[in-house]
Amino acid sequence: MKFAHMADCHLGSWRDPKLHSLSIKAFMVAVDKCIKENVDFVIIAGDLFNTSFPSFDSLNIATKKLKQLKDEGIQVYVVPGSHDFSPSGKTMLDVLENAGLMINVVKGEIINNKLNLKFTLDNKTGAKITGMLGRRGALEKSSYEQLNKESLENKKGFKIFIFHSAITEFKPSELDVIVSNPLSFLPKGFDYYAGGHVHTVMERKQEGYGLIVYPGPLFPNSFKEIEDLGTGGFYIYDSGDIRFEPIKIVDTFHIDIGCENKTPERVREEIFEKIKGKDLKNTLVTLRLDGVLETGKPSDINFKEIFDKIYEKSAYFVMKNTNKLASKEFKEVKLQKESIDELESSLINEHVGQIKIENMNINKEKELTKKLINILSAEKNEGETNTDFEKRVKQDVFKILEEEKTI
Amino acid sequence: MKGQILSGEFGKIIIRQKSDENIELGELLVTEDKNKMILQVYDLIYGSQLSQQNLELISGLKLEENTDLEFLDKELRNYNLALLKPMITLQGDSVKLTKTLPKVFSEVREVTKQDLKFLSKPKNPLFVGKLRSGSKFLDVDIFLDGEKAFSHHILIPATTGRGKSNLTSCMLWDSVGKDYCGILVLDPHDEYYGRNKIGLKDHPDKNKVVYYTTENPPTGAKTLKINLKSFKPHHFDGVFYLTDAQKDAMIAYYKRYREEWIEAVVTEKEVKGDFFESTLAVLKRKLSSLLNIDSVEGKISCKGVFDTQAGESTLKDVVGELEDSKVVIIDTSSFSGQAELLIGSLISTNILGRYKNYKAKGELKDKPVISIVLEEAPRVLGKKVLESGSNIFETIAREGRKFRVGLTAITQLPSLIPREILANINTKIILGVEMAPERQAIIESASQDLSSDNRNIASLDTGEAIITSNFTKFAIPVKIPLFEDFIKHDSKKEMKNDFTGVKLE
Repeated sequence: MKFAHMADCHLGSWRDPKLHSLSIKAFMVAVDKCIKENVDFVIIAGDLFNTSFPSFDSLNIATKKLKQLKDEGIQVYVVPGSHDFSPSGKTMLDVLENAGLMINVVKGEIINNKLNLKFTLDNKTGAKITGMLGRRGALEKSSYEQLNKESLENKKGFKIFIFHSAITEFKPSELDVIVSNPLSFLPKGFDYYAGGHVHTVMERKQEGYGLIVYPGPLFPNSFKEIEDLGTGGFYIYDSGDIRFEPIKIVDTFHIDIGCENKTPERVREEIFEKIKGKDLKNTLVTLRLDGVLETGKPSDINFKEIFDKIYEKSAYFVMKNTNKLASKEFKEVKLQKESIDELESSLINEHVGQIKIENMNINKEKELTKKLINILSAEKNEGETNTDFEKRVKQDVFKILEEEKTI
Repeated sequence: MKGQILSGEFGKIIIRQKSDENIELGELLVTEDKNKMILQVYDLIYGSQLSQQNLELISGLKLEENTDLEFLDKELRNYNLALLKPMITLQGDSVKLTKTLPKVFSEVREVTKQDLKFLSKPKNPLFVGKLRSGSKFLDVDIFLDGEKAFSHHILIPATTGRGKSNLTSCMLWDSVGKDYCGILVLDPHDEYYGRNKIGLKDHPDKNKVVYYTTENPPTGAKTLKINLKSFKPHHFDGVFYLTDAQKDAMIAYYKRYREEWIEAVVTEKEVKGDFFESTLAVLKRKLSSLLNIDSVEGKISCKGVFDTQAGESTLKDVVGELEDSKVVIIDTSSFSGQAELLIGSLISTNILGRYKNYKAKGELKDKPVISIVLEEAPRVLGKKVLESGSNIFETIAREGRKFRVGLTAITQLPSLIPREILANINTKIILGVEMAPERQAIIESASQDLSSDNRNIASLDTGEAIITSNFTKFAIPVKIPLFEDFIKHDSKKEMKNDFTGVKLE
């Protein structure tokens, strides 16, 4: 048995066209590799798309590549992820499934108030596949709590569980703020646990469970991920052995300068020193600056000149992060948090409790605010009218408020 | 009417019991003069109009000669006397400590719910039981100010079988979902979550209860994993004995390898310093044994809780959960005592450190108070243990209240805890204690004068307690409900199942 396990493709992520196209290319390369490797089937553990209603070009590419897999006789098994599943329960994955391009394995029935997941049988290999979707704010928790694990555990054969959640026990320290579910939510005794959602690469043989694998994204989804991962990739399982298959579309080069007590001129010189003699052809360059400058402001650093210099070396793209760069003249400016999640949490913490809501304590208010932020960050889909968009967002908001019993 | 005051002195008021009434040890009585005074019975004795010699003679006649002697006006001639101590005086709506004697021949009566209206519910109520009068209890709920009580430490001393676990279960249940506190329970008997019985898992706000265990975690529980990188050398203080040379070696490793230091010790990496091979070998053996890890071909092999890959965020998660006012139970039943203390020490050090930081930034008042529940407290707070070196629990006992971090120490042997630490524990919920030295240790460190309550404490039945606290006006006798009965009124919330996204057939 040979299968590919990918996750977090996030087709449609990155606003910048150059990075956007890298993300799309990564998916195309991954599919091509799967065909070349002649895998029996492909698993996508959530977040194929970056939103539940992806743009035309993302959908176009996905359909084309999934069709190629289908034509090669390679079945694709998926679970919806927190990005490509909307709070109202709609997802473009349904359309792709109806077109016969993939199978969503999150199927089951309710018996005595318990969720009994059903296995999807891969006819080629006999592998039994099931799984659980991921929802924003780990709302899939409720389904896990009612999951009849015993019926899954008792089933014999080669079993795969696909999921899109962080596991509390295996969360890396740099992702400690990510909402996660405990390992005990997962049914035991599966041969392979195909994880998604966490953008780090991890494989672990867990006693009582089996092989738990996170492939990370196919292409990094943030500045920090580009720094940490460089490149994305996926896993190939081949008769008991697994290997990580990196996807390298461009080279990466990271410049990290501590600017504490340095002048803008000195910083500029150090950057030039770092790129001196470097071949940056087809390279994605990240430039991170932090600390408090001795004199001047961050805007006194001539980034245009620096970027021009890097592009002169045929770099593919240059991006900078100066969130933690400050000047002495503006000490009162708070240093920004690393991720959007952290920033949002910090803002919520600052403002929570200002308006009194009946039957709502501080922690509940925090949770509700986070959920509402997630919903209200939805973007209008291509072809969607303003009225439909408004209606969709309203529906999602009311659903959450109803769940919290605030209306 | 229960009786009448006839003589005595302040702190030892003697009343005669009315013949058809029954007065119990520990019972609360009321006398009303200009003001209302609440008194408590602390001893009972016989009284008689006849001399002891005559009483003995009459008894002899009845026993030996089978005579049919009866006393004339027997209720008048033989009776019971009760010794009472004043508790408080009520002047209108205000409550004051008693400083006067009631009038001679004042009548005393049973206490009623009406007399106890002054026992109001504090801002952050922590339920501890119903007011008890002798062995009877009144329908008056007794609450402590939970925020103050938890931050200024609580001691629960009792002989086995007197209801320590039941009381702790009730207190924990009552604390779940309260924003003012987060509670860390190091549970060596795995009894509070209720894996196979009723427990905190059945609380209506069960999402406010977090359970960490190593043994077959039930759905929703977390597998306890702690990453080796979480440890610093000082976390081992008081956990096991190390020679000075071994301690120095630990520090040298930490300086050289930082968070990888344990891995470096166990895989025998080089370290600067004049350390004997045997010192390093013993250090390796001790750490390997305590942490259940080994070195295989230069790589660490982990078999239990401590891990090189998993558990990176456990410490932050636990502290975060406590800050979110959750009750965090750590099942330590499968650990050695040392491993349990190490985990407790690691988490407690982190909590205190973080709260000190909040204080420095002026953010402490917005944080919930955190209490760490320690079973068999002398294991970490005992005189002998502390003689061989201080530990984080002693630090918390001494200075934790300044940072809103407190201990809830449970023990059968309070006398093993140093006197100054006992004195720092401002609330004591005393259950039945049979051993005299243990009672003495409690009485000497109580917040109220319990010098006449020695017998009272010894006679406390299962579930009966006396609360002595800096935050109560007097030592309050309480009856703690049975946990199973206590939780009945908190009906389970109807959980709304949400299977959104699952394709249901």
